[in-house]
Amino acid sequence: MAVRAARRPRRRSIPVARILLLGFFLIFVLFPLYWILNTSIKPSDDYLAVPPVWWPEHPTLVHYEAALFAYRGLDGLVNSIIVSVSATILSALLGTLMAYSLARYNTGGRHLSFWVLSQRFLPPIGIVLPVFLIYRSVGIYDTRFGLIIAYTVFTLPVSVWMMFAYFRQMPKSMEEAALVDGCTRWQAFWRVAVPLAAPGIVAAAVFAFIACWTEFFFALLLTSRTAFTLPTVFRAFIGFQGAQYGEAAALAIVSLVPSIALGVLAQKHLVRGLTLGAVRG
Amino acid sequence: MSNFSLRQMTSAGAPLPLSGVAQWTERHFKWILVGPAVLLIVALSIYPLAFSLVVSFINYDFQIPGHAFVGLKNFERVIFDPVARWSLVLTAGLSGVSVAVEFMLGLAVALTMVRSFPGRGLIMSILIVPLFISPVIVGQAWTLLLQRPFGPTNYVLSQLLGYEVTIGWLTESPWLYISLIIADVWQWTPFMFVILLAGLTSIPPNLYEAAELDGVNAWQAFWAITLPHLAPMMLLAITFRLLDAIRMFDTIFIMTGGGPGTQTYTASYYLYTIGFTQFHLSQATAGSWLFLIVTALVVTLLVRRLLRAEVN
Repeated sequence: MAVRAARRPRRRSIPVARILLLGFFLIFVLFPLYWILNTSIKPSDDYLAVPPVWWPEHPTLVHYEAALFAYRGLDGLVNSIIVSVSATILSALLGTLMAYSLARYNTGGRHLSFWVLSQRFLPPIGIVLPVFLIYRSVGIYDTRFGLIIAYTVFTLPVSVWMMFAYFRQMPKSMEEAALVDGCTRWQAFWRVAVPLAAPGIVAAAVFAFIACWTEFFFALLLTSRTAFTLPTVFRAFIGFQGAQYGEAAALAIVSLVPSIALGVLAQKHLVRGLTLGAVRG
Repeated sequence: MSNFSLRQMTSAGAPLPLSGVAQWTERHFKWILVGPAVLLIVALSIYPLAFSLVVSFINYDFQIPGHAFVGLKNFERVIFDPVARWSLVLTAGLSGVSVAVEFMLGLAVALTMVRSFPGRGLIMSILIVPLFISPVIVGQAWTLLLQRPFGPTNYVLSQLLGYEVTIGWLTESPWLYISLIIADVWQWTPFMFVILLAGLTSIPPNLYEAAELDGVNAWQAFWAITLPHLAPMMLLAITFRLLDAIRMFDTIFIMTGGGPGTQTYTASYYLYTIGFTQFHLSQATAGSWLFLIVTALVVTLLVRRLLRAEVN
């Protein structure tokens, strides 16, 4: 295989297969992103040109304006920010509390930790219907508060398991020393363990944020005209009767930039994030 | 794992100088820490599940008044609905094919990225980008690329193949299935790639050096060293991905809307339509329970194997 050929220091042949495969895959990944960007700044007159307009001569921002204001993208953006940030903070906080207890005190044994894990694999369709009914009767349907709570719960398994793995690989001697010195358990946790675990907490928070920011299903079914988030605004472009290609693309750009930026910044922790801490990247 | 506790110290006769509340906190500390998270999960996941079990045995339908107990009728309605059965078949087919393609492509790309080379860091950063994009946007992006007559796909294919290509990517079978799979593969191949790459880089390089000295060729080394060492990681990646793939909803919502007709109804999409556009809530919750049971079977099967592989 190409990889093995390249391992040999003597024979520095150019691994053609490897470059080709990687090249094709890079194009495959990048082309849709380029096409969204291209569409978002393309004047409507260029939409149906043959051959397609690969880069508009007169780029325009009208689609951004329309997407943010006419289609209420800005309201969605504000809701997305408030909901995602609040849920992330709650999830990281509650997740860290629980993970610490699981890692240091073995609370509930294996059962409790696996029960939390099992929540991660529960199909959302199974709980969203009753949650919808409960939300309507309690009066938090279509409120940011309702969505924040839902997002906190749905990101908790990942937060708990990422922090569980983090605390387990952290030496506990510092906390033990603090306890010997007369600290309460809370002080040993809050003043000693949490600062040491800060990088892990930040990483867990980043993944919780991305999960909230990109979530669609709960937002679609638990919100309507008030608390709707950015991804649900795309409903307006389904069917394309009015051919709002530019607006859809502009909204996509607005929505994907923050999560991509955060994700790439946190890529060191990506493997742990994707496997809930099961694999140390 | 040893228990983290300093009970020895307190029992040794040096009681901490604490107030009653603080002592209570100290004693129940571990339960106080897990309390909030557990309560939230119970309130928003366990209670709704129990509630939906009740709903699935009564009549809870915005089109039929009253909440009479109807036994297994809601379950029967789902089981004897041909659309439901089709959606289950489609869910299995789409997720199976998607995950298989993602796995093979992800493994191939991971193999090209094991060794360090100039620009590897940058390429790595680019390849993981799809993981941070909302599936809705992924669906939207592929709609823009494939939709006739706007998307450039048919034009590019016409140029490459030398004849006019006029495929209705989002309206004609089997192309619409292929489109949905492409969108899924685009978003989730990086998932496989990242995990498998982590597995590949953790294989000790001296194994390969020893094999090379023994005159083993690259292909044999792949089967004898890479595959067995990577197996647990492969199982983990496939399990995680499969469990998410069977929920497939967002891209379908955007790209095909379940159509034409009910051709692209996955299990999640079917239940969504029953519950939220036709308001047969009881039938939908009954169907959700059936789907949960099917999922649980898959989970136990796969996760059991996963745990066993990890132990070995």
